[in-house]
Amino acid sequence: MAMIAIDNISKWYNPTFQVLKDCTTSVDKGEVVVVCGPSGSGKSTLIKTVNALEPIQSGTITVDGISVTAAKTNLPNLRSRVGMVFQHFELFPHLRIVENLCLGPEKVLGRSHDAAMAKAEKMLERVGLTKHAQKYPGQLSGGQQQRVAIARALVMDPICMLFDEPTSALDPEMINEVLDVMVELAKEGMTMMVVTHEMGFAKKVADRVIFMDAGEIVEDARKDDFFGTPRSPRAQAFLSKILAH
Amino acid sequence: MNYNWNWSIFWEPTPEGTGTYFDTLISGLEITVLTALGAWAVAFILGSLIGIMRTLPSKPLVVLGNVYIELFRNVPLLVQLFIWFFVVPELLPHALGIWIKQLNNGPFYTSVVGIGLYMSSRVATQVTAGIKSLPSGQRMAGTAIGLTTVQTYRYILLPLAYRIIFPPLTSEFLNTIKNTSVALTIGLLELTARARAMQEFSFQVFEAFTAATVIYLILSAVVTIGMRLLERRLVIPGFNGGK
Repeated sequence: MAMIAIDNISKWYNPTFQVLKDCTTSVDKGEVVVVCGPSGSGKSTLIKTVNALEPIQSGTITVDGISVTAAKTNLPNLRSRVGMVFQHFELFPHLRIVENLCLGPEKVLGRSHDAAMAKAEKMLERVGLTKHAQKYPGQLSGGQQQRVAIARALVMDPICMLFDEPTSALDPEMINEVLDVMVELAKEGMTMMVVTHEMGFAKKVADRVIFMDAGEIVEDARKDDFFGTPRSPRAQAFLSKILAH
Repeated sequence: MNYNWNWSIFWEPTPEGTGTYFDTLISGLEITVLTALGAWAVAFILGSLIGIMRTLPSKPLVVLGNVYIELFRNVPLLVQLFIWFFVVPELLPHALGIWIKQLNNGPFYTSVVGIGLYMSSRVATQVTAGIKSLPSGQRMAGTAIGLTTVQTYRYILLPLAYRIIFPPLTSEFLNTIKNTSVALTIGLLELTARARAMQEFSFQVFEAFTAATVIYLILSAVVTIGMRLLERRLVIPGFNGGK
């Protein structure tokens, strides 16, 4: 069964500008799906609809069988089970790294401080930042901050992870340290939906690639089919441009 | 100018027989401080609530907040105090109006409420500005880990916003202290009223208002230094001026 099922969704920013047009796709449990496409194609908006950070006007979305779009759904509860990583990290600058990691488990999941701390330390070790636990986000590099952001999502024991251009705001030399953590996650069987321009990452770990243009899902294919024989001319043009070098 | 300077006037007894002029100035200072603290508490709490209200997704609440601010910010403080003191008791049911008029310390309570409401509109604009100055991703990140709206404000948006608006809030606190002097018009015996009384009894106008000026300056200096120390404690490395 699909972990994330997106069925025929549309979104308008105002009555005239439609940012998502009848998008349908799904992500199975354990699957890694990369979403790519040119700027303004709606990929970030699409991924943010999955945990209802962006509302939609028509269509339905379910995560683990629970409707995201139904009015009676307890959204905070649902969101607490879906990990999200943002382009600009969005760590809470007034909280130490370890406090960033304990906030959700304590305030949302109701875990004890000791349990939250133990989990936070485990996840910091996993992303290789144990010795930075007592620092503030502003004292870390971009790559380190993004790894903390991934850890902050992981301490919640998410059933799936959403990545919204996780490496786009990073200096080139820091991209790999973040991608390494993501590759590791993918290999462990985490269900992941990743908006990225990192085609190397897509080739390495993606199961499927979704290509978007002007609010539409133009191509939704197995990785090898997408990179081998993209069907749409728009995807062919996109790939030829970003894979040229 | 023919003026008899008399700096020892402060140690002479007042005609009221309640102590020296210095004593009356100090009792005025006490009222000024109490009124300012009370009004600031009202301003800070109400201003924060209204300021937060204006950042919520609900359109009616935003409009309500805007109306509140325009109302209390744009009517002169003096007029507002007169309305609370002279007009409102007449509008209330007769018995309640009488009770308010006979209240001990009526001018004090009226000043706390009147100055508090006036200043709350100014605090509210600062709080709104502070919250709106935060990157929208902060709210999203809080929401994404499952925090409710209340929790997002409590743990993320407000701690950041108050740090950002700390300097202008200090100014508003100082304004609150200075605005208590307007309350002499409704009979509050605060520092300025005491200085005026001293001038009228003793005719030592320069000494009286020199004393008031110096006391206000000292009071403001104490508050400024206190707020600086507090601000320093709130500094976060890599965020608001921290290293």
